[in-house]
Amino acid sequence: MENNYSIEVQDVYKTFNVYLDKANSLKEKLLFWKRNRKEVREVLKGINLNIKKGEAVALIGVNGSGKSTLLKLMTKIIYPNKGKIITHGKLTSLLELGAGFHEDFSGRENIYFNASIFGLTKKEIDDRLEQIIEFSELGQFIDNPVRTYSSGMFMRLAFAVAINVDADILLVDEILSVGDQHFQEKCINKMKELKSEGKTMVFVTHNLESARELCDRTVWLHQGVIRMDGDTNQVIDEYLKETR
Amino acid sequence: MKVFKNLYDYRELLKSSIKKDIGGKYKNSVLGVLWSFLYPLLQIAVYAIVFPLIMKSNMEHYTVFVCTGLIPWNFFSTAISRSSFTMIENGNIIKKVYFPREILPISVVTSEAVNFVISTIIILCFVLGSGMGFSAEVLFYPIVLLVQYVLLIGISFFVSSITVYFRDLQHFIGIALQLLFYATPIVYAANLIPESYQWILKLNPMTYIIDGFRAIFYYQQQPNFVELGLTLLLGIVLCVLGYLLFSKLQKKFAEEL
Repeated sequence: MENNYSIEVQDVYKTFNVYLDKANSLKEKLLFWKRNRKEVREVLKGINLNIKKGEAVALIGVNGSGKSTLLKLMTKIIYPNKGKIITHGKLTSLLELGAGFHEDFSGRENIYFNASIFGLTKKEIDDRLEQIIEFSELGQFIDNPVRTYSSGMFMRLAFAVAINVDADILLVDEILSVGDQHFQEKCINKMKELKSEGKTMVFVTHNLESARELCDRTVWLHQGVIRMDGDTNQVIDEYLKETR
Repeated sequence: MKVFKNLYDYRELLKSSIKKDIGGKYKNSVLGVLWSFLYPLLQIAVYAIVFPLIMKSNMEHYTVFVCTGLIPWNFFSTAISRSSFTMIENGNIIKKVYFPREILPISVVTSEAVNFVISTIIILCFVLGSGMGFSAEVLFYPIVLLVQYVLLIGISFFVSSITVYFRDLQHFIGIALQLLFYATPIVYAANLIPESYQWILKLNPMTYIIDGFRAIFYYQQQPNFVELGLTLLLGIVLCVLGYLLFSKLQKKFAEEL
């Protein structure tokens, strides 16, 4: 059924088994069966969240509140224990810098590999290649192996790929903190542009200023539940009152 | 059917992953890709020298006989042992990006299939060198290859997903493959095995595949299509069951790796 939502999160629960001392092999399992103590950690407890097409939403909250877990659930890297997550449209995520980059391959080769992970075909990548290289500002370094890159260059390349794959939904986890002022501004401008094109975006961030600048809506997670959900400025003001 | 749509949507990833698997294997060794020829050649040399000595067998064209068994076997065993590593090897990507996970075992088996097709040159050289010549039955090669490919895809779904939860499987697989090597008529002819043990060979699907390759290259006759058909059927059943298990287990890959 078609509706206006890009992401529907329906009563989602997620628990992790935290092994204090994990027995990984059979020998350890047999000999030290007591060792397999685990703690069940409830990270998300009944999250309901509908994100409309074209919305830019910031997820905020203190460390351990479950923001990143929620984002990972949306990408289908992990699955909920209970509840359902439905996404409509092509989805790209930027959870960690250069996930899936190969150190020995050149920047150019990595663009192909990385963009193919996001489900692009050769031709689609060919069409975007110039645009991606230009956005990354890597210039001649694009043919050097990425292990020679600085962390800023790495991040620029990763970001340039993710932002140019033409996804309907973009999920970003706290990464903008790398990169210089100039590039950060460029990214924010590019994301504003994507927003005006009607793309849906979800950010996990501690940078409240960029959240205010980019997002109309902010969701505040606290200990695995939604504490507040609404207009960015209101939510952030409340959040600051609480955490100060 | 979702699996085919996924594979089609992500065909570029599948392609580049296969390329990486083929190219990356020998990246850091001096002799590089040459090893994919050298290794089986040396192996064949070992058996061709040792076996006739010990077994006192004086089979005609024994080197051709061995290489028609050994090279398909290498395809089988490396594809399986590499599938058991592939999730752990790619743990970093699995934890950070979504893509259809089944691409990984499929790409391992496919890249090994490509390697196998290349290594078939060795078989061709030995057949030529021995002066046996070729018969038209060689044209059945793609059929036997297809049967082996389907069988391997099925098995790789099982081993690649189970090792994530149960790392010991890697070691068990190593031993099991060694055992299976001797339970398959690779270095010996099936008729050397006493009647009372023949059932072992008959239960082993690799027997039929190697029989198939040997039929077309060594005996130069039609492969046994009934046996190959049954093996293909087994392969398809394994693919379906393996995929069901795989899609159940893959949900927790990112947490277990």
